[in-house]
Amino acid sequence: MTTSLETTDLRKAFGGVVALDGATVSFRHGQVNALIGPNGSGKTTFFNCVTGMIRADSGRITYRGSDIARKAPHAIARAGVGRTFQLCRVFPRMSALDNVLAAVRPGGLAGGLRGARHRAEVDRARGWLTRLGIEHLAEIEARNMSWGQQKLLELAGVLMGEPETVLLDEPAGGVNPALLDRIGTLVRELNAEGRTFVIVEHNMDLVMSISDHIVVFDRGRPIAEGPPALIRTDERVLGAYLGV
Amino acid sequence: MPNVSKRVLTGVGLVLLAAAAISFPSLAPNPYILSAGIVVVNYAVLATSWNFVGGFTGYISLGHGALAGLGGYATALLVTKAGLPSFVALAVAALLVAALAVPIGLAALRVRGASFVIVSIALVLILLLVFQSWASFTGGSRGLVVPRPFPGLLRPEHHRVFFYLFSGLLALALLAWWLIDRSRFGLGLKAIREDEDKAESLGTPTFAYKLIVFVVSAAFTALAGGLYALWFGDLDPVFQFSILTGSYLVLMALLGGVRNLFGPLAGALIVGIALEYFKGQFGNTPLHLVATGVLLGLVVMFMPDGVLPALGSLVQRFRKAEQGSIREVSASELLAQRKREEVRQ
Amino acid sequence: MPSGALLFQSIILGLLLGGLYALLAAGLTLYFGIMRVVMIAHSAFLILAAYLAWWSHARLGIDPLLSMIVTVPLFFGAGVLLQRMLLSRLRSATLTMMSVLLTFAIALIVEGLLGYAFTGTQRRIQLGYGSASFGLFGARIAVVKLIAFGLAVISLAVLYLLMKRTTFGWALRATIQHRDAARLVGIDTEKVAGYGFGIGLATAAIGGTALSLDTTIYPSLHWHWIGPLMAIIVVGGLGSVPGAAAAAILLGLMQSLLQIPMGTTWAQTIFYLALFATLAFRPQGFFGGRLAQRF
Repeated sequence: MTTSLETTDLRKAFGGVVALDGATVSFRHGQVNALIGPNGSGKTTFFNCVTGMIRADSGRITYRGSDIARKAPHAIARAGVGRTFQLCRVFPRMSALDNVLAAVRPGGLAGGLRGARHRAEVDRARGWLTRLGIEHLAEIEARNMSWGQQKLLELAGVLMGEPETVLLDEPAGGVNPALLDRIGTLVRELNAEGRTFVIVEHNMDLVMSISDHIVVFDRGRPIAEGPPALIRTDERVLGAYLGV
Repeated sequence: MPNVSKRVLTGVGLVLLAAAAISFPSLAPNPYILSAGIVVVNYAVLATSWNFVGGFTGYISLGHGALAGLGGYATALLVTKAGLPSFVALAVAALLVAALAVPIGLAALRVRGASFVIVSIALVLILLLVFQSWASFTGGSRGLVVPRPFPGLLRPEHHRVFFYLFSGLLALALLAWWLIDRSRFGLGLKAIREDEDKAESLGTPTFAYKLIVFVVSAAFTALAGGLYALWFGDLDPVFQFSILTGSYLVLMALLGGVRNLFGPLAGALIVGIALEYFKGQFGNTPLHLVATGVLLGLVVMFMPDGVLPALGSLVQRFRKAEQGSIREVSASELLAQRKREEVRQ
Repeated sequence: MPSGALLFQSIILGLLLGGLYALLAAGLTLYFGIMRVVMIAHSAFLILAAYLAWWSHARLGIDPLLSMIVTVPLFFGAGVLLQRMLLSRLRSATLTMMSVLLTFAIALIVEGLLGYAFTGTQRRIQLGYGSASFGLFGARIAVVKLIAFGLAVISLAVLYLLMKRTTFGWALRATIQHRDAARLVGIDTEKVAGYGFGIGLATAAIGGTALSLDTTIYPSLHWHWIGPLMAIIVVGGLGSVPGAAAAAILLGLMQSLLQIPMGTTWAQTIFYLALFATLAFRPQGFFGGRLAQRF
């Protein structure tokens, strides 16, 4: 088992509120990992620290063995970590196609000045839009799309960056059952193609059905981890979160 | 608007502009009108240069007047103190200002939104202070006289030559803007405008991008300022480092539409002509300040996207009304539509 | 090495100046705290108040301090109107930026009207007690500066009591800290924001009057003030009135002391240096505490 994302004794406090209290976690490469826990247990803060959006107070963060704790968000993204947001973020006044094309990373000056609607990349972008079922919205501005469509668009954009590891922050949030199904299937497909997932989620059906490995957070640190079958019956987890 | 008609419009616009630029000096009834035309074209260059930062990244700088002033003074000082030929001085001045824009950008671009606006204002004010006080070097409040690059020319010819020079600079600026607009770099900048953190999380090196476009903007702005110094021949810190000039630029770009290639130009035409009109109406009283303020206020309140987009949507509404309200739908289309609705919430 | 007396005098003057700055900056930071609005026109209103004070003295023979009886309620009303009629209409997505441009436009309009009404001639109030001063351990302190400082202290004290001890002040602080939460608790944030703005402009009326006692005024003077005031509120921490006060006193002191070696003009650069330093090292300001915001 190789590690994907790993943190050692990660700490972050906001004023008097301790969000992460010595979180030592290791997610598994090549698997679908889930990060669950009650509200306020530090899951999104964890994501934010790991992707460089906020700076942790102390602790180590490594990805595939290299230290990423001090890296800028764009460097972490380029290292192969993609991420969606809890409150789905897209570029509102750009078309769906442009939203996805924005994930293309040009190399150097020549690459930067090349046309944004370059053939090869447009095809690849449309490919992702099609795979997520929103190719008919390619020229529609993101702000005119429904919530579910925006969630799919956000995911398409992230995937366009060809991330090795994808962090999903509450992919099931505000989503209808049919769409939920599609997302779950998609995650399994992408995982079979070699992508690692770390999913923060409250929807236990989804978590139990697609995860290989679950880490449970409570009050800023992990309290249990293991395969779904184990977590489902773990007393600590039941007490803190799942309810009987 | 679909891409084809957009391209056609841009092409037509360019041809019209070129024709107007070439024929204007001959059509102008007197040298005063011609010099007013130069002022308008200068504004157009400045506004377009401003729009590299304002339009692409969404960072509103009220301090671009500072960069123009620096370009003007650098050119003037290189000619008077270093003895460089006029246009060499212009080029060197632009490079110097571009180089200076790097540390300025490093400091200013760390902050966003209104903080950035405040920093830009502070920049102008502090430069005004410096240039007024450092009289020994810059001539202070007495001003600085710049020798003409073509001393033999009479005034009308002088204006003619500079009109073409300014038009050429405008063409260059428009070209650069257009290149960035369609490029991958430009898409990254626009992503910054939409959601800077999200852009960064997708892998865009936001700070580097902002800095690069800021330097490009500064270079063009400095060129305009320097060319103005060569044309006008007389520099005064109060006018060179003027918050008012900086605000005119913003007004012009906003009025015309910051997301359009020709937006700042359109805004410069409208505001430039309006300014001349107000000066005629109100003489040189401060009422032109009131007029500018009112115009800026109206644009901000009612047309924050600018005139060109407002016109564009008007045209679109007109077009849509021509189509029938009930389309005939085939069975297969209906089926496809139903399938899509499943995905929709 | 400056003499002890000169140093002492500079310190006293610096403190008095700082107090005045604190009053001038209080309104500015208040607008930002309430509505995330950068009110560039604040200094223009300061000058307007100064002009009204001068005018009432020069044309009506009234002591400029008495002009506040009219200007303070007038400006309060103007502030409420400004917020309700104009600022609340701006789309919240780009509120801060658009508010900069809108208030900039208002500043231009005020300056233009002042120039039109009073011409560009520099004005100065000639008070009977204008040149009076008294000695304090060898330092000469102008009476007008002391009056200005007194006004500042009283106004800030009233503001403090208002914010901390009244129901309205509680509502205002709640609106500043968390608008949505305040609404949920039943506070009419729109109304509160309007009154908050009114208070901000009212402080401008007082501050402008204080300014008029001792300064030569002209229409474009507000540009001279907006930079330093912006610097003060950024250094103090945006949205925090005590922070702005602390920063004001500190910077006033430094400006006064720097005038000895550097002269008046160059001493002004301290504000911009402080601004850049704050944005470089601690963008949320140095004195604001939990109330301070990042833009």
